[in-house]
Amino acid sequence: MTTIEPAKAEHDTARQSALPSQRSTATRGTRIIGIVAVVALGWLVAFGLGFSPADRDQDESVRILYVHVPTIWLAYLAFVVTAVSSAMYLFSKKKSLGWDRAAGASAEIGVTFVAVTLAVGAMWGRLTWGVFWQWDARLTTTALLFVTYIGYLAVRRLGGSHEQRAKRSAVLGMIAVVEIPLVHFSVKMWRSLHQEATVANLDGDTKMDGLMLFSLFVGVIAFTLLYVWLMLHRTRSMAMEDLLEERGLDEALAVRRAEAAETATAATSAPPTATMKTGSDS
Amino acid sequence: MSDTDFPPSDDSIANDLDLAPRTNIDGTAMSSRQKRNWLPILVLAMVVVAGGVIVTQFLTSAVDYYCNVDEINVRDGCDDNRRIRLQGTVDEGSVVRSDGVTAFTISFNGASLPVRYSGEPGGIFKECIPVVVHGVIEEGALQGDRVEVKHSDEYVSVNDERVVDAQDLGCDAAA
Repeated sequence: MTTIEPAKAEHDTARQSALPSQRSTATRGTRIIGIVAVVALGWLVAFGLGFSPADRDQDESVRILYVHVPTIWLAYLAFVVTAVSSAMYLFSKKKSLGWDRAAGASAEIGVTFVAVTLAVGAMWGRLTWGVFWQWDARLTTTALLFVTYIGYLAVRRLGGSHEQRAKRSAVLGMIAVVEIPLVHFSVKMWRSLHQEATVANLDGDTKMDGLMLFSLFVGVIAFTLLYVWLMLHRTRSMAMEDLLEERGLDEALAVRRAEAAETATAATSAPPTATMKTGSDS
Repeated sequence: MSDTDFPPSDDSIANDLDLAPRTNIDGTAMSSRQKRNWLPILVLAMVVVAGGVIVTQFLTSAVDYYCNVDEINVRDGCDDNRRIRLQGTVDEGSVVRSDGVTAFTISFNGASLPVRYSGEPGGIFKECIPVVVHGVIEEGALQGDRVEVKHSDEYVSVNDERVVDAQDLGCDAAA
């Protein structure tokens, strides 16, 4: 959780009055969601590792599924939220940076979830297929999705004003989302080592043991709550970062003005060679 | 905030100082080469390289990952004189292990082919399960150097298997 130090009185500017009064990103709402998420994750552990049965072919390794599948679904959701927020920023009249921060926060969580999907998927692959990785359609497109959004996060950090950041990342966020159907339907479009979808398929036929399906459902609920909790905290901490950055600029400006004033005084009493050359050597 | 109270009055000092405002009139940050952070650029360069590798792999490997046994010399890219990935179901009772070599036959859609693999296939390899074997066809048999076990989209409790075992339905029940 991010906290902001109280503003220094000597550099007080009008903008600082916009700083949030709270010093933490937590609210009553996030605490409740956090507690419910922890309970749901406890349920996931109980059902995923305990109550659900082993699989006929995969044996105990089927339990990896209860993390592998929910994390990629939540990553899909996260990237869709990024795209929608990006569109809201670009096409709304107000151009609120709140949409931009929601897009960025959601992409960060999505990338983390895809990383989890890939990591636990490789373990499952080693146990079931006999290999950690193969360049089949599903794995390859998922890898592409992963690096694309790492690129998106890098673009967000290229510098410039908050508005510049928002505009260029919004365009990228709306383009990158087309990879999601590519990933999801890759197993239908091409022959792949990866199996086709059991639950999220279009034929409405779920060939899965009841308790396994329920454990998967618990996983989806738990990771959804975790996503919401992370989103709330991350968007708030990003808002604070943006404010802090602006305040930092104001302070830097004030310091430079003071420097200039000092130099002006020094220049009148000292030879030019002793003049401070702040920033001019870059 | 305005910049009208700035720069200082002495022009000669102004020439020595970088007095360009660091914020726009509305207080937002201006892009500046001095503030350039190289880490995102480095990450972006790596992303472009990784993306290129992935797309190459996609075009050379991921599109049509395997041929089925009945497609040898029938389907484009499934010729028997080149290295292929062949998919088929391991025939019941065909697995023979001797001198570190695992021999079995795989079938798909009525066509069968013997497979020789040096070593013990990993994963959940067993009879009646679909596999993808990488290798070259020599003397009427696929000399495999890699066996990958495919998993279907079906998830069955291990408890249900005992019921099936009791009925002894063989490959049809397991596949």
